[in-house]
This record gives sequence, structure tokens and C-alpha cells, in this order.
Amino acid sequence: MSATTTKPPLLSRRRTGSLGWHLGALAILAVILYPVVWVIGASFKPSKDIINSLRLFPSHPILSNFKGLADGIADISIWTFFQNSLFYAVGAVVGVLVSCSLTAYAFARIRFAGRNLLFSLMIGTLLLPYHVLLIPQYVMFQKLGWINTYAPLLIGKYLATEAFFVFLMVQFMRNLPRELDEAARLDGCGHFRIYWSIVLPLCRPALITSAIFTFINAWNDFMGPLIYLNEPGKYTVSLGLMMFRDSDGVAANYGGMIAMSLVALLPVLLFFLAFQRYLIDGMATSGLKG
Amino acid sequence: MGTSRNVERRTILKAAGASAAALGVAATAGCGGGSGAGDGTVTIRYSWWGAEERAQKINKTIALFEKKYPKIKVKTDFQTYASFWEKFQTQAAGGNPPDVFQNAVTFLRKYDKRGILLDLKSQVQAGNLSLDHFRAGVTKVGEVDGKQLGIPVGSNTMALVIDKKVFEKAGVEPHTGWTWDDYFKALKTIHDRTKVAGDTGYFGIMYLYDLYLRQNGKAFYTKDGLGFDKADLTEWWADGYGRVKAGIVTDPKVVAQDFPKSSLSAGHGASEFTWDNFTVRYSSEGDSTYGLAPIPTMDGKHTGQYLASLMLSASARTAHPKEVAQFIDFMVHDPEVGTIMGYDRGILASTEQYAAFKPTDAVNKEIAQYEADTAKAGVLGTITPHPSGADTIEAAFLRISGDLGQGKTKVADAVKQFFTESEAAFQA
Amino acid sequence: MGPAVTLVEDSLPTARKTRSAAPATRGRRPGRRRENLAGYLFMSPWIAGFLLLTAGPMIASLYFAFTDYNLFNTPKWVGFDNFTTMFDDPRWQRSVEVTAKYVVIGTPLKLLLALGVAMLLAQSRRGQAFYRAAFYAPSLIGASVSVGFVWRSLFSDDAIVDRTQSFFGWHVGGWVGNADWVLYCLVALTVWQFGAPMVIFLAGLKQVPRELYEAAEMDGAGPLRRFWNITLPMISPVLFFNVLLETIHSFQIFGSAYVVSNGTCGPADATLVYTCYLYQQGFQNARMGFAAAMAWMLLLAVALVTAVLFWSQKKWVYYEEDAR
Repeated sequence: MSATTTKPPLLSRRRTGSLGWHLGALAILAVILYPVVWVIGASFKPSKDIINSLRLFPSHPILSNFKGLADGIADISIWTFFQNSLFYAVGAVVGVLVSCSLTAYAFARIRFAGRNLLFSLMIGTLLLPYHVLLIPQYVMFQKLGWINTYAPLLIGKYLATEAFFVFLMVQFMRNLPRELDEAARLDGCGHFRIYWSIVLPLCRPALITSAIFTFINAWNDFMGPLIYLNEPGKYTVSLGLMMFRDSDGVAANYGGMIAMSLVALLPVLLFFLAFQRYLIDGMATSGLKG
Repeated sequence: MGTSRNVERRTILKAAGASAAALGVAATAGCGGGSGAGDGTVTIRYSWWGAEERAQKINKTIALFEKKYPKIKVKTDFQTYASFWEKFQTQAAGGNPPDVFQNAVTFLRKYDKRGILLDLKSQVQAGNLSLDHFRAGVTKVGEVDGKQLGIPVGSNTMALVIDKKVFEKAGVEPHTGWTWDDYFKALKTIHDRTKVAGDTGYFGIMYLYDLYLRQNGKAFYTKDGLGFDKADLTEWWADGYGRVKAGIVTDPKVVAQDFPKSSLSAGHGASEFTWDNFTVRYSSEGDSTYGLAPIPTMDGKHTGQYLASLMLSASARTAHPKEVAQFIDFMVHDPEVGTIMGYDRGILASTEQYAAFKPTDAVNKEIAQYEADTAKAGVLGTITPHPSGADTIEAAFLRISGDLGQGKTKVADAVKQFFTESEAAFQA
Repeated sequence: MGPAVTLVEDSLPTARKTRSAAPATRGRRPGRRRENLAGYLFMSPWIAGFLLLTAGPMIASLYFAFTDYNLFNTPKWVGFDNFTTMFDDPRWQRSVEVTAKYVVIGTPLKLLLALGVAMLLAQSRRGQAFYRAAFYAPSLIGASVSVGFVWRSLFSDDAIVDRTQSFFGWHVGGWVGNADWVLYCLVALTVWQFGAPMVIFLAGLKQVPRELYEAAEMDGAGPLRRFWNITLPMISPVLFFNVLLETIHSFQIFGSAYVVSNGTCGPADATLVYTCYLYQQGFQNARMGFAAAMAWMLLLAVALVTAVLFWSQKKWVYYEEDAR
């Protein structure tokens, strides 16, 4: 383009701009990460200090909160909790990706009778608070003999009941140029081929976003595992965390709890770090940028 | 449309396919579950609330039990108090409550009314469970309308916990038989001399108000309603709020900020009414020395106190009532279980366990002494079983008195609100 | 520029688009039946899920809303009783007030921050991946129990926020525990966890074709005008999605209120958000009929807001299709 003449000033402007950008970003970060740093600091404090002092860093850092985790919680290795959470989270991600993308494709790309009605119904399911559905669902799952398994937690993910993700994917799929599948159609491709070979790859940012959100939601889910899982050996990390809490007025092991909550954060952070790259760059490489 | 895009699309396709394949593998790792039944071996589910320390103790006692009864397997499940009752309610509503569970007096009538609790009398008659060898009158706690709905594991009673250093500094000393007037005078002295509020919020504690009413010949509950009227409560709360404003009682704002710590251990109050066995927390949270003091009285003698207790209850739907009864019997009577559990759930209720465990630490010694002294003083009465809805009412009492303390509602409105909510709770 | 423009085409599955397209398609495509079949085939997981998992419990809850039901009795029909008691209930009114305040204050702040940071991160700079992850970190923590402690340590008397505030001569003595201030603790927690809308904004911003900016820059448009005339319209479909979903979520907020108030939604009901009250009534007090009625009131309210938003998008959401 014709920007060559203005290049030198633009460059220097860019450099100072870059410095300003980093300063600005870091300033916001400092505020936003302060609480995170506090949690990290607290994990090295004894329980008594956690509830007594407001300080960011411990005066006498200790490692015993983390060391205590190695012995497990209530005779259960913390690996058990992690394995359970991982199973639940990965299972949920697979389910959401498959079922929600199929549904979203139908909403976004296929013109079938009753589509609008179904779409409104789907949006409608977003609006009802989860709690009121809990008891009827529990009764149903219990009749099926699914209590104390992961089935009640996962089944919904495989049946696209997570309307948020269907909606998100619909939004992205509607954004894809229709010429693509019209061309494919002329080549004789059916819907499944178009879905699988064209729409899915191009929707990668939406899929990755959904995967990340699903993973995090499942990892942090408390109510579902609480209600449906009946033995500590099957508990997820979020339930394991509650085992530190006191009940009868006895002081709780806050140190252990905070240490555990930090350790519990690691897999989610790793998952995010691994996938966030695709999240944004996915758009850039999809060649749709114009 | 550029040609380069097609190439890129192809590579994307490959990547997508590969990742889907990888995910697909993960998907086949199905959800196993369900415990296989066996050869006459019976499995019972045991749920309770508590934290990991209690879990470790309970696991040990279960190992003992399973050794003695090799044909009975016990599966445990535990949560924090609030989560426990949420889950219990969901399970009970779904017809799937645990076979045995920890229980408290507040929930007896509630779940009895709903047919969830097993009357253990028949098991007592069948000889699977013994009601003998309990400390004076403590089994009464689990009795409702002639049914034995719970067997106590440990007892506790309301007590006054004081910050000894502050009391000393103010030159105040609690004594047996002191009156409410003495008590409030003491609070004022403490506030005047040390600038510390004397109490952390007595007027919001339902169990303390119960004692006060009992001292006056009433009680918080009758069989199916409230045992006091609006005038009683208006007086109790108006006095309480007056004392907050006077600075004698800790500002509820401060109490909320101190949470999860008690304001007593935070040094924002000099005394607090609570269950005697909860006092372990203060020394682990705060830096002062804490002690137990007698409950103030009206007449110089009657404190209105009684023994409350955590209990084990059984589900009316259990398929194995005999085994459940044997389990409860073992858990409440076996001396070795007593030494393992200690005072974790209150002063051990059966005489076998009470004799087997002697506390070695100062706090637990003091708790044991307190209950022994209270019993000796002859002030212990029997508890009134709480009507259905008592759990809701207890929470409402605490919450509304909190609103009042914050100055967010007037006494008259608070009282009205409490009676309205109680009405709804009894009906639910 | 062609394909770039079609990107934003018809971003929303409104009836409008379908209706306008339908007549043309109907006439031309021979395989209408086949399309229907394909549609329902693709939809089958959702339909199964809806019928098996959602519809039944939803209808059940609608029925419960008109009954006296405590989870253990057979529901007894009481007509609109639950609704009339609800409207007279001061705590219900309080919960509506708290929720409304929370939605109105929290949602825009969260979206503004999310958009601002997303625009910052949309520029390609060194260390982008680090920034992205760092800004997302608060959202990972979710409503974890440790957040309860952190928030206390930030907003207590003499803690960092209170000190800063006092430095400017405005002494409150801590937000936690103070019924007039604690709601802002809750708002702060929500705003702090702005990662999800930020990520969605980022994806949207990446879609805006760069040529548009370059052209505008050559026309001498300043950054403000570029934002107003290019960025905003181009991301308006994504903005719409975020506004809609964040609003719905705000109405249903529960976990954060629970954590900030240690499960009490207090003090003095100051953080008694709607779902928290619903939960207390349904699960702690076992008034399932009342809770179901509350849930359906919420559904109606949110549906109304959703409908208004869908309707309003005609005015402010930019679709290439309409511009053509």
C-alpha cells in the first residue's frame, strides 16, 4: 500500500506506542492479578494467619499446606480427585463439541420446518434457573439407577442441553460465507460432508471457546457432583476442596484448602494455555479475514 | 477468494480430524459405576457432615466395625453441614436417603413428618441395639412422640465462652448462679474499662433465647409452634439492639467482617454464647486465653440448660434395618470407637465410651468438666423436640436479628417478619 | 472485501432472515423433505436432550408453581397463591431490587472492561499469549471457595480498598459486612471475572477486516471515530451476543453471591439475589412450589428482556445484509 512515504515517523510512533501499550496492559494486570497473588501468598501462610492478617505475603512462609496435600484428604489421594475431575471435564468437552456443533449446524445451515420454534425453545431453556430442574432430574436419574455414576453429569453434555454453546456456535456458523457450502453442494456433498469438512474446521474458534468454557465449568462444577456422587472416591476436585471446611464450629484447615484450590487451578490454566493459541489464531488462519 | 485458502483449509481439516479422533478415544472410556452385590454381604450407606479430620477418625472406626462384622460393608459419604442437608433433602425426596446418617435434633420432626426416619424402638426390642448405658437422660434427645428416631453419639450444652484476659483486665468474674443483670452489668464494665464490646451478639442465638425462655417457664418451641409471643420477642430484640447501639454488644458489621473467624477470637468481643464443644475453635483462631462460664439466670439457680446431641439415625426405607441397628449400636457403645472419636462430636454419650476416653488437652478437659459441673448443679432439664421447620426458623432468627443489628429494620417489623416466616416454615 | 463483509451477514438467527429467504428456497429446492430430514437428524441429540432432560422437568416445575409442594407431599393445587404471596413478600421484593441493581450496574461494567481489554489485546504485540492468559486467570478461579477469603481480605476494614478509599477522605470501614456496600463487593467480583466475554470479543475483533481501518485512517479518521464507525458496527453481532448472555447470566447470578456472603446472601439480605432467595426457599425451606413460581417469574422477566434485546438489535446491530 501507499504508506511507504510515512514509514519513518510511523515506526517511531509505533515504538513509543508499544511501550505505552505494555505499560497500560501491565497496570490493568496489576489490579486484576492482585487477588490472585493474594491467594498464592495465602497458600504459604498458616491457617491462623489466613483469617487474621490482611497482608499480601506471609511473614513466615511455610510449605506445610502443600506438603499436607501429599498425604491426601480424608484418606483419599488428591490424584483421585484430579483423575475424577479430568474424566468429567474431558468427557464434558467431547460431548459438548459433538452434540452442540451438530445442533448448531442444523440451526445455522439447514432450512427445515419448525426451526424457528425449536430455536426459541432452545433460547427458552437458557432462561430457567438450573435449581428448579434439579429435583425432577434427580428423581429421573435415580429411577434409571444412575446415581453415584458420572452419567447424570455427562448425559446432558452429549445431548446438547448446553444451550449457551449451541447459541455461540450458531452465531459463528452463520458468519461463514454461504458460498462455501453452496460450492460444496454443487460438488455433490451432503450435509454431513459440509458439516464435517467445511463448517467444523472453519468454526474452530467457536469450538475452542466452547471447549475451554466447558472444561472450566465442569472443573468448577459443585452442585452436580455434590448431588449425584455418593462416595468420596468418586468425588471431583471441587468437592474435595470442601472437605477442608469445618462444620461444627471447629477451626478449619484454611491453609490446606487454599493450597488445594491453587493446585486445582493448574490443570485449568494449562488447558487454557494449550488452547488459547488456537482460539485467536484460528480466526486468522481460517483465511476468512478478507 | 484466494487459492491459498484451500491449502490452509486442508491442513485445518487434518488437524480437526486428528483432534476429533483423539477426543473420540476419550469418549469411549465409559462411565462405570454401581457396586456389585455379593454373597450375603450387605452394604450400607453412611452419610455425615464434617471435615477431613472427622473423616479419618470415622474411617478408622468403620474398619473396626467391618472387622467385627465381616458380612457388613459400610460406604461413607460426607459434606459440610449445609451441603449435607441439601444433598440429604434431594436424596430423601427422591426416595434414596442413606441407610444411616448423622442427625441433629432440629431435623427430627421435619423428617419424621415426611416418613424418612426409622423408629429404632423395634430394633431395640429385637436386641440389635441397646439403649442402656447412656449418660443421664441423653437418649431423650432422640425421642419424639414415643419413637426413638436417633441414638446420641455425643452430647453438648450451651455455654458462655469468655476471653479470660479481658475479663481479668476489667476486673469482672462470672460465677455460678449469676443473673442476667449481673451479666449485662459485667458487659458494661468491660466496655467501660477495656473498650471491648462485652458480647458478640447474644440476641441472635436461637438456642440462647430458648434458655432464657425456659428460665421464664416457657420455651422457644412447643410441639408444633412457637412457645413465646410477639411481646416476648420484641423485648428481647429491643434490648439487644439497644446494647448494640450502646457498644456493649459487637457491631454486626464487624461480626460479618470477622467471619469465618469468631469476633471473640478476633478480639472484637469479650464473650460469646455457643455450644460447649465448639470452644476448641477459639484457641486455634485467636491469641487470648478462653474459658467456659456459667449461663446467666433469672432466679440465681435455673439456667434452663439441657443436653443436646448429635445422633445417628436410620432411613425408614433401608433394606437392612438389622445391620443398620448393629452398626449404630457398635458406633455408640464400642469403647475403642470412643477412644478414636474422642470429643469430636460432643462429650461421648454412652457410659462405655465416656469411660474409655479421657481427654488430655486443656480445652477438652475443661469441656468435660463443664458438663460434669452442670450436671452436678442439677440444672439440666430435657430438651423440647423441635417442630418441623425448626431448621428454617433458626436461620430466620439469626438472619432477622442480624438485619436488626445493622439497623436495617425496626424491632416491630423484625418481629412481624419473624412470625410470618415461622408460620410459613411450620406449614411447609 | 467481499468475503469479509459476508462474515457479519445475518449473524443472528432471527426469524427475519429465515422468513425472507424461505419463499425463494421453497420454490427452488426439490429436496425440501430431505432438508427436513437432515435438519431433524442433526438436531436429534438436542431434541432427545430437550425431551428427556429438560422438557419434563420444565413442565413439572411449571405445574409445581401452582401447587403447594414441599418435596415430600403430593403437590396440592393452589392456583395463583404462590404468586400472590410472592408479590407480598418483602424478601422477594428485596431480591428483585438487589438483582436489578446488580444487573444494571454489573453487566455494563463487566462488558466495558471486557471490550476494553479485548481491544487492547487485539493488537498484535509481544507477549500476547501471556497477557491473554493473565487477563483470563480470574475467570478460571470461578466461584471457588478461596475467592471468599480474597474478597474479605480486599474489602474488609483497613484492607487495601478501604485504605485507598480512606486516603481520599471517604471512610466506610470496609464493604464486607456493611449492608449498604456489600453489593458492590459482589459487583466487583463479577466485573473481575470478565474473561468469558473478553474472549468472545477478541474473536469478534479479529474478524474486522483490517482494510477498513486503513481506509479510514487515510480518510483522516481519528481513533474515536474509527471505533465508532468501524469497530462498533462490525462487532455489534458479537456485542449483541455478549450483552444478551451476560444479562441472562446476571439475572441468574448465584455462585458469587453465595461465596461473597458465605452462603447467607447477607448481611441484612444485602446480597440476596433472586436465585439465592429461590434456592433458600426451595432447598433450605423445602417450599418447592413457591420456588418454582419464583423461577417462572424470573423466566418471564428474562424472556421479556431478551425479547426487547432481540427487537432492539434492528436499531443497533449492524448486519451487512441490511446495508447491501
